[in-house]
Amino acid sequence: MKLRSAVDWALGLFRRYLQVRAGFYTVVLSGIALAIVGGFLSYSIGNGLFSTRLNQVLSESERAAVDVQNTFSASSVTDEISLQTLMNSVVPNLESASTTESRQVALLRTPGQTAVQLLQSPISANLDIALIPNDLRVTVRKAEGKLIYQSIAIPVAGAEHPGVVVGAPIEIPLAGKYELYLIYDLNNEQATLDFMQRTLFFGGSILLLMIAAVSYFVTSWLVKPVREAAMVSEEIAEGALDRRLPERGEDVLAVLARSFNRMAESLQQQITKLASVSKMQQRFVSDVSHELRTPLTTIKLAGDVIFNSREKLEPAAKRSAELMHDQIERFQVLLNDLLEISRYDAGAVHADLEIQDINGVVGMAIAGIEPLAVSKGSRIDIDIPSGEADAEIDGRRIERLLRNLLANAIEHGEGKPILVSVGVNETAVAVSVTDQGIGMSRAEVDRVFDRFWRADPARKRTTGGTGLGLAISLEDTHLHNGWLQVWAKPNEGACFRLTLPRRKGVVFTESPLPLPPKKQIRKVKGVSN
Amino acid sequence: MPHKILVVDDDNALREMVGIVLESEGFEVAFHDAGSGALDAFQKAAPDLVLLDVMLPGKDGIEVCREIRAIAGTPIIMLTAKTESEDVVRGLEAGADDYVVKPFDPGVLTARIRARLRPLGSGSEDTVTIGPLTLDVVGHEVRRGTEKLSLTPLEFNLLLTLALKPKQVFTREMLLETVWGYHYKADTRLVNVHVQRLRSKIEDDADNPKIVTTVRGIGYKAGQA
Repeated sequence: MKLRSAVDWALGLFRRYLQVRAGFYTVVLSGIALAIVGGFLSYSIGNGLFSTRLNQVLSESERAAVDVQNTFSASSVTDEISLQTLMNSVVPNLESASTTESRQVALLRTPGQTAVQLLQSPISANLDIALIPNDLRVTVRKAEGKLIYQSIAIPVAGAEHPGVVVGAPIEIPLAGKYELYLIYDLNNEQATLDFMQRTLFFGGSILLLMIAAVSYFVTSWLVKPVREAAMVSEEIAEGALDRRLPERGEDVLAVLARSFNRMAESLQQQITKLASVSKMQQRFVSDVSHELRTPLTTIKLAGDVIFNSREKLEPAAKRSAELMHDQIERFQVLLNDLLEISRYDAGAVHADLEIQDINGVVGMAIAGIEPLAVSKGSRIDIDIPSGEADAEIDGRRIERLLRNLLANAIEHGEGKPILVSVGVNETAVAVSVTDQGIGMSRAEVDRVFDRFWRADPARKRTTGGTGLGLAISLEDTHLHNGWLQVWAKPNEGACFRLTLPRRKGVVFTESPLPLPPKKQIRKVKGVSN
Repeated sequence: MPHKILVVDDDNALREMVGIVLESEGFEVAFHDAGSGALDAFQKAAPDLVLLDVMLPGKDGIEVCREIRAIAGTPIIMLTAKTESEDVVRGLEAGADDYVVKPFDPGVLTARIRARLRPLGSGSEDTVTIGPLTLDVVGHEVRRGTEKLSLTPLEFNLLLTLALKPKQVFTREMLLETVWGYHYKADTRLVNVHVQRLRSKIEDDADNPKIVTTVRGIGYKAGQA
């Protein structure tokens, strides 16, 4: 598990940091390159060492072979004892016992000669004749004066040293054909080679580490501006629009920084422009609000004073006072709606969310609309769940919204009963307002939330709606992240269903109430009217 | 003797019209037309109530409201053209007792004025105690021990309403009706802001109230839950 988490950690670093990745690839590729170069160096140095030593060995051997041959050829010994003495002197003359340059000697009689021989073949004290390969001896016999050599392994104190055995045929008068073998220990060269290889290996490793470090630092240095750019763009994305990259030098990174800064600059300009437009819009709304409302207040107060004393006026003036009074009301509602919708357009609306029982809000909306319902003869039935249906809402807006839906239902409901249903589930609450009036066609349903759109322009306006009611209702719904949906059928009626999340930020996928509504209006808990 | 009302508004027509409406209702009216000098006008007129426009040249109504509050508890009703939360809440926090949104009905305006001028509903007792406080119902005074606390009439009325029924939890709507005289649904922020102002005057630690406590999801009550 520990290993696994370590591997995960390393993989994480690898994925997250460009420097680590660059360092890794640099090290792997340089490692391969170093291995190739090191292998070649080691091979050619080894080869060089060997051939130098071999040449030396061969020239030494040649000299030795010639000396020995000359010694025998020139000797005037005739008896076997003298010959033996002469032969015995060959070995100590040629052999060298130094540990580094050890050379051993063997003077062997070529087998298969007819003359009987009693002479002993002198060899170096430590030499094992088995070291001299048979095929070499065979070749030496046919060599006719040339030197023959072969590489062998010499066992020394448990280890094997590389060595060369050089052989030459020697003609000894009276004694017949002999072979002179010189066995050279190349351990010295091997040690040099080993040392070389060790040095190469350590040097290579250190070089590799340094390459890793250098590549890490170089990449970090290269990545640094990129990382800065990433950090700055992150900050810009989070709203710090005035953040910029430092522009240094003339290279590609400076170009990157400059174009990045230009981009950020134009982005900031655009956003600032949009923000100022939005601010101007809000200011305008606020100014219009104040400028229009103050004279309207005066007009309204004056209209009321005149309206209240209308009985003292002549009939024409009296009727005028009444008309003015009504139209001032209408003007006020229209102004309110206009200002409300432009506040939405300016994005200047914030919900005052509070956890409330939706049933209470529905009750308040119904109570507010009751006088209108009574005057139009519409009964309002309600179907509410027994349990609590609390939701985090802006009660004033939702009440206004429901009052608006109810006013529409009353206006288009032809005096037939209107059903208000409340539904609740885990994530959402819903209120639907269903009338059984004239309904709407498909095309009308599509336009029902449009501003100043009216279901039937030919119809007499009786309740004095502004044509903005449903547009504002839709904005209020969006403010709560809810749904406001409509179902309608000509001559069957219409149903508006409002669905709101029970808590701010909760996502719901299903409304607790059906749309279109259930056919019959079941539970009839009439509101007295 | 008729109540005297100071109308501070920069719009000549509206000021005159409000004057006509109020005089026809039997009030005595004084006028001022700007934010600057409003405090002098207030001291000269010594009104029983101030109608104060929010947007005034020179000094805005909220600043004027704060100045008047600093020297007197006289009821102040703000006239506001805005219903945006910040403006309303700012006005209430500056010490306004109530607000009326333009355009308003003359009936609404006079009802709001009368509600603020209505004598406090006196109980049978002369003094009421709530926690460490003693309320002198007749003298409209609140004392903590011997220290006299300065509350506006509205704050006194709010505290008295809660103190007279110490066991009862009042919803914001009930308080709006009893204290502010609203008989229909009104802005519950009035209650929230004034409870906050009241607490800052009477509580040792307004963030951790002991005298006027909040009952979550319902309203307020006197004493600890």
